[in-house]
Amino acid sequence: MMRAGRQDRRERLWWGVGGVLVVAYALVPVAWLVSLSLKPAEDLGDNRFVPRQITLEHYVTIFQDPQFSSALWNSVGIAAISTLAALLLGAGAAYAIVRLEFSGRRLMLAAALAVAMFPPVSIIGPLFNMWRTLGLYDTWAGLILPYMTFTLPLAIWTLAAFFREIPWDLEKAARVDGASPLQAFVHVILPLAAPGVFTAAILVFMFAWNDFLFAISLTSTNDARTVPAAIAFFTGSSLFELPTGAIAAASVVVTLPVILVVLLFQRRIVAGLTSGAIKG
Amino acid sequence: MASIELRSVIKRYPGTTAVKETSLTIADGEFFILVGPSGCGKSTLLNMIVGLDDVSGGEILVDGQVVNDLDPKERNMAMVFQSYAIYPHMTVRENMAFPLKLAGLSQEDIATRVEQAADILELRGLLERKPGALSGGQRQRVAMGRAIVRDPEVFLLDEPLSNLDAKLRTQMRTELARLQRRLGTTTVYVTHDQTEAMTLGDRVAVLRHGEIQQVGTPRQLYEHPANLFVAGFIGSPAMNFLPGRWSGGSLQLPLGSIALPPGLDDASMQAGTSLVLGFRPEHLQPVSGENVEAGNLDFTARIEVLEWMGAELFVYFDVEWSDYPGFTLPEELETDSKDTARRVMVARIDPARGLKEGDTLHLCLAAAHLQVFDGTSGANLRAKSV
Repeated sequence: MMRAGRQDRRERLWWGVGGVLVVAYALVPVAWLVSLSLKPAEDLGDNRFVPRQITLEHYVTIFQDPQFSSALWNSVGIAAISTLAALLLGAGAAYAIVRLEFSGRRLMLAAALAVAMFPPVSIIGPLFNMWRTLGLYDTWAGLILPYMTFTLPLAIWTLAAFFREIPWDLEKAARVDGASPLQAFVHVILPLAAPGVFTAAILVFMFAWNDFLFAISLTSTNDARTVPAAIAFFTGSSLFELPTGAIAAASVVVTLPVILVVLLFQRRIVAGLTSGAIKG
Repeated sequence: MASIELRSVIKRYPGTTAVKETSLTIADGEFFILVGPSGCGKSTLLNMIVGLDDVSGGEILVDGQVVNDLDPKERNMAMVFQSYAIYPHMTVRENMAFPLKLAGLSQEDIATRVEQAADILELRGLLERKPGALSGGQRQRVAMGRAIVRDPEVFLLDEPLSNLDAKLRTQMRTELARLQRRLGTTTVYVTHDQTEAMTLGDRVAVLRHGEIQQVGTPRQLYEHPANLFVAGFIGSPAMNFLPGRWSGGSLQLPLGSIALPPGLDDASMQAGTSLVLGFRPEHLQPVSGENVEAGNLDFTARIEVLEWMGAELFVYFDVEWSDYPGFTLPEELETDSKDTARRVMVARIDPARGLKEGDTLHLCLAAAHLQVFDGTSGANLRAKSV
């Protein structure tokens, strides 16, 4: 009894310490960023973790800069459209791969994975030239296309895994109950695959939101430049000042939505939603 | 309400024929059973009737109309799946309302009909629950509820009871029978369990390897099986089979000789052809002394195993032979033993007799109860002339 209790306590201690370490490892840089963004310009080099004096001047600065607000708008729009497009196409493709009997299904999945394995750096040069010829350079579509392409394999694989878990009988039942194939998909399959849809959505959104390589290479003006690229163009208020504070503030602003999205959807990303559909 | 007719329906998959040319008619209001071992094509047949599978050939008619090209939603049939297939993200009420919603009924109509169905199936108290919080029997009821709420032309049930435990299965079986009588809806029921087939069906079709072996009332199947397979599949415990041959004006079998049963005469028998003789366990009855009617088979058996079931007693004994080579049965009926010169027989007798394992018992079989099958084709020679 005593032994078991001690073991229990030791285990809890172990998990507690481990958890704190992991959280600290992940969050200290973010906290440092927040601290930097709140320090007045003259305190930036004071090496203190907790700011001596708190100011919102950097936030005011970046939002007064038209470059930043248009970059924010570009980021939101491009990431949202890429996510939506990748999900729509990915759901359709995953569903077909799981449900339909056709030769080359495995090949298709493998090919999709191969796409994801391309290092983006290796295609950025040709893409730059192609986009300029096609008129896609420095447009939203010019970024949405590569984002969608690079995240589609991930979406297909994630969604296919979830669709595979849904008993086929449910779809048959819906069809017999009077649903068209599309109605069966929308009313029965999609709600049950919701955790998969949200997982895929978050992954695609984060890829598009965080991307720097495509954004810096394929844009040149405020028309399509996203926040990660725009931050690189920040300048200080004078030639001799580093824009550290503004960069920190901008980074905090772009990190928040990702954290919010994950927190909002994490409750939906729970497995076991299909329990009770069939026996056991 | 509707009658269903299959005309030369065929289902082929690449490399195999799942359902060979099948024709049958299911009358309006009938409780019709498709029974057979797994992989015999019974579920495929059901899926073709409801429209989830296309037919490769032939026609399916409902009330005289060809429905081959109709989508499942246009056939107005309801189906209960072996896995129940109730929607886990919807409450019981939403599950039952789903087909009505798709049909475009008004909110009030949906509410009344769901509640009516819930009353019939005693689901009133569970309407707001999710399937995850229901027991197996309750889920089964919800699946039934979703089927009856639409007042469909036809019910199709695909092994609806096989996921329930034995006690619940018996109970639901009775309820199903009562429900079907009450609603009077044409019902097609697929099962691999011959007990369900016998107890529920107005008529039963026995399938094997995608082919209908026999269609008839449970009584016809039991008393006049068309072939060896049906004879062995229907009935529990199964019919006893022994090798036999026609010689010297009587049927010879390892236990002795017996006269021809009614329906067969000397002219119809060929000497020397290999035969399989079958008899039901209840037709072996103990006799005392020498009062055995002429033409009946009587023999003594040494009891190997006794199974006392309360109301009846199963007596198992061995029969061996050496002069009937090449005796085989359809693979589904074969026992595990690879011994082709020995079989275990079973007799069902009155438990009032005090018997012990190891005792010898004098048993008698009346010729009238004997079934005679062709050893090669398996066809019942008696049924042909009935």
